[in-house]
Amino acid sequence: MTHPNHPLQLIWGLTLWAIWFVAVYGGLSVACAATDWQRESPLSLNNALLLLATVATVLLLLWLMKRCWRARHPAAGHRRFIAVVSAALYAASALATIAVAVPIMLLPPCV
Amino acid sequence: MTQQSLSFPAKFHQQLEKVWGNLSGWGSLAAVNHTSIGARFMVTGMFFFLVGGLLAMLIRTQLALPQQEILNAEVYNQVFTMHGTVMMFLFAIPVLEGLAMYVVPKMLGARDLVFPRISALGYYCYLFGGLIILSSLVMGIAPAGGWFMYTPLSDATFSPDKGPDFWLIGITFVEISAISAGVELVVSILRTRAPGMTLDKMPIFCWYILAMALMIVFGFPPLILASILLELERAAGWVFFAVDGGGDPLLWQHLFWLFGHPEVYILFLPAAGIVSTLIPVFAGRPLVGYRWVVFAIIVMGFISFGLWVHHMFTVGIPQLAQAFFSIASMLVAIPTAIQIFAWIATLWTGKVTFSLPMLWITGFLIIFVCGGLTGVMLALVPFNWQIHDTHFVVAHMHYVLVGGMFFPLIAGLYYWLPHYSGRMPSHLLGRWAFWLTFVGFNVTFLLMHLTGLLGMPRRIYTYEAGLGWDWLNLLSSVGGFIMSIGIAMLIIDIALHFRFGRPAQHNPWGADTLEWATGTPPGSYNFASIPSVSSRHPLWDNPDLPATIAAGEHHLATIEHGRRETLGTDPINGKIRDITHVPSNSWIPLQTAIVIAMVCLCLLNKIYWGALAAAIVAFIMLFRWSWHNGAHPVAAPVRDDDPVNPPLHSRTFDGPGLWGMVVTLLSNGTLFLSLLFGWFYLWTVAPNWQIPDHKAFSISGLLISGVSLTLAAWVYLNTLKRLRQKNDQHLERRLWISTALGLFHIALLIFIFAAAELQPRAMAHDAILCVMMLYLLLHSGMVVIATLLQALRVRKGYVSRTLPYEPMVLQPLWLYCLSIYWISLAVFLLLPQMRGLS
Repeated sequence: MTHPNHPLQLIWGLTLWAIWFVAVYGGLSVACAATDWQRESPLSLNNALLLLATVATVLLLLWLMKRCWRARHPAAGHRRFIAVVSAALYAASALATIAVAVPIMLLPPCV
Repeated sequence: MTQQSLSFPAKFHQQLEKVWGNLSGWGSLAAVNHTSIGARFMVTGMFFFLVGGLLAMLIRTQLALPQQEILNAEVYNQVFTMHGTVMMFLFAIPVLEGLAMYVVPKMLGARDLVFPRISALGYYCYLFGGLIILSSLVMGIAPAGGWFMYTPLSDATFSPDKGPDFWLIGITFVEISAISAGVELVVSILRTRAPGMTLDKMPIFCWYILAMALMIVFGFPPLILASILLELERAAGWVFFAVDGGGDPLLWQHLFWLFGHPEVYILFLPAAGIVSTLIPVFAGRPLVGYRWVVFAIIVMGFISFGLWVHHMFTVGIPQLAQAFFSIASMLVAIPTAIQIFAWIATLWTGKVTFSLPMLWITGFLIIFVCGGLTGVMLALVPFNWQIHDTHFVVAHMHYVLVGGMFFPLIAGLYYWLPHYSGRMPSHLLGRWAFWLTFVGFNVTFLLMHLTGLLGMPRRIYTYEAGLGWDWLNLLSSVGGFIMSIGIAMLIIDIALHFRFGRPAQHNPWGADTLEWATGTPPGSYNFASIPSVSSRHPLWDNPDLPATIAAGEHHLATIEHGRRETLGTDPINGKIRDITHVPSNSWIPLQTAIVIAMVCLCLLNKIYWGALAAAIVAFIMLFRWSWHNGAHPVAAPVRDDDPVNPPLHSRTFDGPGLWGMVVTLLSNGTLFLSLLFGWFYLWTVAPNWQIPDHKAFSISGLLISGVSLTLAAWVYLNTLKRLRQKNDQHLERRLWISTALGLFHIALLIFIFAAAELQPRAMAHDAILCVMMLYLLLHSGMVVIATLLQALRVRKGYVSRTLPYEPMVLQPLWLYCLSIYWISLAVFLLLPQMRGLS
């Protein structure tokens, strides 16, 4: 399951993206309900925490991408197929995470 | 292949037909074969499509001119609600599932799906559920709140009639069918591919169907939960969505669109699968960018779950949250574009034959790209606010759904029609049907963009003259009728071709995939022998494959044992792991579906004791069904000549049932997570949410009950560990101990529940706790009864160290019950008591 040629690599990247997405969206909602940050600018503790989660997720995804990409060469057939497609999926997950996270730097959290 | 079958191939095929064929006459209702069930799904789906189409014609007739009174407001509301409901739930999903059921096993090189009786149950649930929903229209009491059934419009205060009840109960019934098909397809694709068919050699259509099936597994449970909660609110007065008691109507929208947006991709993916299958055939070359397309399918399957809030941009959510969903909505265009570029590149580099199916594919490409572009426009929040709830959205939705689903579906029907009937359709009628439908569609819906931009709202039954909408609506209606004529010609063409169509030559389109290696029309067993596969294009590589398959020159060319068998292969490397024996004709699916329909009818008529009695009977029938499995004499009795290499799946630790259980629990777990989401959502967002001062349940009692459940699970898991070591000493006694501990846990749980002073009609907090408790009791009850049956089966000799399969299937259920119990205790009961959170 953790081997870079295992088929589950095809879903781990976007699963991590989904967990990050739910955590950030859910965390934002809970934080806004529990605090009085409605008037704050984007430079708030709330946004900083969201960004921290984003950076950690992106770094993890990029490391996993590199791992799969390196595993493509000795492999052949379906093992190589899985390594290459998984690497692309990890890259896509990292890009999706960054893209969705961009507004965190631009918008206040609870308005 | 045996010497006897080599010498007498005709006799061999007769024997196969005898084992795999349906019963005759009324006995065909007991059929479970995937070819029959898939075709029934499609025919029934097309019937519902005609009903939905007639309703659309009524809508367009009413809106053709201003201030018309052909339909009054109440009837119009019923008509547009039923149009959406019928098209989405009773036509689009079932017909695509039916197509997948028909085609996928043949493409994989399998003789059937792995759980054919579940397919049959799914079909009857769909049929009866659909008829229940439709009956409300016939009786004039159909739901009238829109196909999304928003609260509070659909609650008992604002919709006191039975319309929403028909919708909620009927749709839930139909969704049982969808999820069962989803589980079936996932396990079949992973476990019954032809030997050598590794993931990189799998037909691209099967990748699409795998993604669709998994999306159904994860996407439908939120709506099932929402429907159950709303029905409980309407029927029993429990509070979930009413603001006064601490509920929130927006919870319904979240749960509905958690299902509703992935639903769009659940419809698009199989349709895109048809496109990716047909384009290479008619371009005469392999699909360009197979790996990129697989990549795009997986990305789309995931990202489409992160878009649901774009249906709720106007309800009032923080800007930052809107931005998340806006960007995610735009991101999903990227995998779509990858596929479109792959299709264009395949056409560009191939030599295209514009046969009838290809014509419909061309229509798809034009219409779907337009729908996709307006989708990106709608993802932009300010634009979305401006045109929300206008006819622009109606136009966009139809461009995406009709363009993205209906056109490829018809292309697929034309493509596989000769496979099913052995005859070719009429090119003349087919081309007329296409052009009328294509022109009619665009006249209807292209203009609707303008009507929407000019401010015409959705869901209004009439409008004033002189607002600038008159001529647009009239032309839209004319276009709608042109489209209807096109579809009528399509139906005539298909109906006539069965009698007058030119006999089809074998593999008439020159396809590359294995379904064309069966007979046309196919035998009930698909393949007399199952070939090994070494590329993505087995028929292009070896055109003689159909002949050698029919001659029994490949795997599993034996039938003397009288079992229905197909090959079970490894999901990763495609090597043969076991011989999967699949169940044969049975009345149990029909009987069970009838009893479940009785539960629904009793609920609709508020005969609750009848519903309870029917539910108990349904459970008894389901357990009886499980009894006739594995090594039971009617399934695959233990014989001296049982194959050992590869073995029958019921003699292994890892058959398809285990995979089916895991996939089902993934779906079930999504429902549980949706309940947790509802709990946290109401807790953090609902304006009148309250946590009562008193403790809802005895925590110490729940701890004791939980310890008992844990011990029961531990005994069970320990028993399995010994079984894996080929040790079945005291097997029956251990299963009885596990059952007894489980029964004690259930009894204690019932006592605690009965002793609690909950007020589900007054407080959403207590209502959710009641649902949680019922959920735990249901699951504990199921696993304990199933374990009890295992103990009895040990006594009967159906389970032992040489027959260890069935207890393995229950293992994930035990772990699931254990998990949900302790998570529930922590999240629903202990967390609110922690300091500062209440």
